[in-house]
Amino acid sequence: MNVEKPKIALFLCECSTNISNFIDLQAVADWAESTEDFCFIEVCNLLCSPDGKKFFTEKLKEHKPDGIIVAACSPKLHEKTFQDVAEEVGINMSRVQMANIRENVSWVTKDKAKATEKAKAMIKAALRRVILAEDLEKVTMEVISDILIIGGGIAGIEAALTASKAGRKVYLVEKDVSLGGSVIKTEEVAPNMECSPCLLAPRLSEVRDDANITVLANSEITDVLGFYGNFLVKVRKKARYVEETCIGCEACFDVCPVTLKSEFHLGLGNRKAIYALFPGSVPAAAVIDKQHCKHFIDNSCDACVSACPFGSINFEEKDEELEINVGALVVATGSKDGDVSNFAELGYEKIKNVYTLPEFERIASSNGPSGGKIQLRNGEQPLSIAVIHCAGSLRDDGIPYCSGTCCVDAIKVGELVRKQIPEAKVFNVHNDLVFVGPKENAFYRKQVKEGTQFIKCTDLKTIQIKEKGNKIMIDGKGFNSIEANMVVLATGLEPASGTNELADMLNIDLGKDGFFKADHDLLNETGSALEGIYIAGCSAGPCNVATSVTRARSAVGDIISKLVPGREIELEIMTSIIDEDKCGGCKLCISVCPYKAIIFDEEKNISIVTEAICRGCGTCVASCPSGAAKAKHFTDEQIYAEIGGLLYG
Amino acid sequence: MDNFEPKIVAFTCNWCSYAGADKAGMMKLKYSADVKLIRVMCSGRVDTQFVMSAFREGADGVMVLGCHPGDCHYRTGNIKALKRYKLLKKTLVQFGINDKRLKLDWVAAGEAELFQKVVNEMAETVKELGPLHLTGNVEQGGK
Repeated sequence: MNVEKPKIALFLCECSTNISNFIDLQAVADWAESTEDFCFIEVCNLLCSPDGKKFFTEKLKEHKPDGIIVAACSPKLHEKTFQDVAEEVGINMSRVQMANIRENVSWVTKDKAKATEKAKAMIKAALRRVILAEDLEKVTMEVISDILIIGGGIAGIEAALTASKAGRKVYLVEKDVSLGGSVIKTEEVAPNMECSPCLLAPRLSEVRDDANITVLANSEITDVLGFYGNFLVKVRKKARYVEETCIGCEACFDVCPVTLKSEFHLGLGNRKAIYALFPGSVPAAAVIDKQHCKHFIDNSCDACVSACPFGSINFEEKDEELEINVGALVVATGSKDGDVSNFAELGYEKIKNVYTLPEFERIASSNGPSGGKIQLRNGEQPLSIAVIHCAGSLRDDGIPYCSGTCCVDAIKVGELVRKQIPEAKVFNVHNDLVFVGPKENAFYRKQVKEGTQFIKCTDLKTIQIKEKGNKIMIDGKGFNSIEANMVVLATGLEPASGTNELADMLNIDLGKDGFFKADHDLLNETGSALEGIYIAGCSAGPCNVATSVTRARSAVGDIISKLVPGREIELEIMTSIIDEDKCGGCKLCISVCPYKAIIFDEEKNISIVTEAICRGCGTCVASCPSGAAKAKHFTDEQIYAEIGGLLYG
Repeated sequence: MDNFEPKIVAFTCNWCSYAGADKAGMMKLKYSADVKLIRVMCSGRVDTQFVMSAFREGADGVMVLGCHPGDCHYRTGNIKALKRYKLLKKTLVQFGINDKRLKLDWVAAGEAELFQKVVNEMAETVKELGPLHLTGNVEQGGK
């Protein structure tokens, strides 16, 4: 059979003298000539410059080659440059093959003769590879521009509002009964001491009144399918047993006979079996705790029904299973307070006036169990308060890292206490002190000036907190005993509960500290490993309110810049495909795919790549025992050819 | 033996090790011209047959260089490469190939000096081992 020889053009770039000084390009050209493999060979200079590209264009038009080898710099630098030029003259991008004779040869090889020989081998490899190139077809897809946000704390709220301003439809999913997250549980945010409810309240009203935003509280994500631009999210909206007509007037709370510990008050206060987290919550509707409500237990009570002026109670309500189509998701599930109950020496849960910092925040909050009055369990004012920094943190048996946010909250204790009890003594026992910026540092100096005593403990693991009469004694390495009547343990932040399950469902990674892992810590802090799934707020790692909000806006900014209604997105071009005639249905590819991009067709007994999800790593191709899987532009045949070319002669 | 110039093929992933090699170039770090690179998108793309093919085509040594564990651009492709490598090492011995002729390592995009070090060490190792003489069953085996 007589097959016409493919026409291959070879451009040898001098790159000023970066290549020509270290490789004998004329010798390479002569050798290339002798092989009779090329239709065109030219030693040229600065091929990436405007003049160079003009020359390149002219030669392509003139010779109409089937393949082009540019022996020059790294493909990571200029492959796209030359591919774009080729596309302009109607030659498919796949036909451009670079031989990296600068970074891989001229810059790294001492001996010119050896460099010249290596360059020849690389051109031979490029030649054998480019002959086998198959056209790559650009595929575009129309996107869904709606967004779903998981978590209704300050980050989720900010993300929703930002997206709505761009005209996007937003679904804000919160697992708790109403929005607000952890910020609403505090009174003031350090170091500016801004009123937390005042930060949130206007935003909550805005969310409530925004026609673009659908709030799905008391709801959880049950599954996520699909890919960037077209996700299908399954959400379980749990029954509240109180209809949306409820405005949160609280008339039912008084008549409900069941009193329970309030999760919102971290167990320091009570709620009823019908409750709302706080007045003015969004959604406003109350919720019935089915597990404890007497109606559900033994049908013995319907006090709320008769107390409700709106007829909103509905015991018949059922959980709803929703399916929502969106183009992108933002994970804003926040964090969880560190647990110190394992450290007996800290006295938590044993000594009654030992609190965690989040508990103290509740005590000091006007929407808290004591209406904001800082008090001991017996109602008396504490006159001596010790705050222990890094409680349960920076240790292998606790939180091994520094959360970076607790020090400023720990020194806030003194600020809050002195407002109510000017004569109180406040001791902050610390080893490290971490303040992230000048405002935080100024706040620290203010506390020193106003009377907080900073006490250095050289090993926080030696701290012993013990009850002595009606006092609490704090001892540890490097300082004299402190006597206090209230202790506040500054706990760090851990990944929110359910983080692992959510990561599995979304198929995104967690970092070593267990928080969601950024695509790139410096360049893409709010992107995840999977395109279209974003991370914001503390779900991406402990941070303060400002960073939470910034991350949320950053994530949404990226989404709205890419998912534009009516605009199509370009899909990954170098994906893998599976030849259904060769596929034996062993599913090995499915088990190795990092993106769950391969599905199994039970009827045909074959695996199929969802090209919109595939990122083109080629791991499935390397694993396929029957040769059915193929990596576009990195086919087995191309790589074998490259190996052969490289080792030729 | 002193004049022996080994042929070494290094499969490098686009995102970490190939970028590390590029950085070595930019820093003008010299390394053995005996080592020649093949760029793949991920070390997970490296089929064991590629390695066998390289040996059959005349390579005296083969390297697979990927991103550090946890840093893979494709999440876990490098871990798949590691699993295959461990198995392949054992297979090579059965084919009568000294398993030192195959080396897997992790090189990040910024680790130009490390790239220079690992490839030079490999070049030295293979030089000491001398040329690879294959037995018949490798030449006929596989693709």
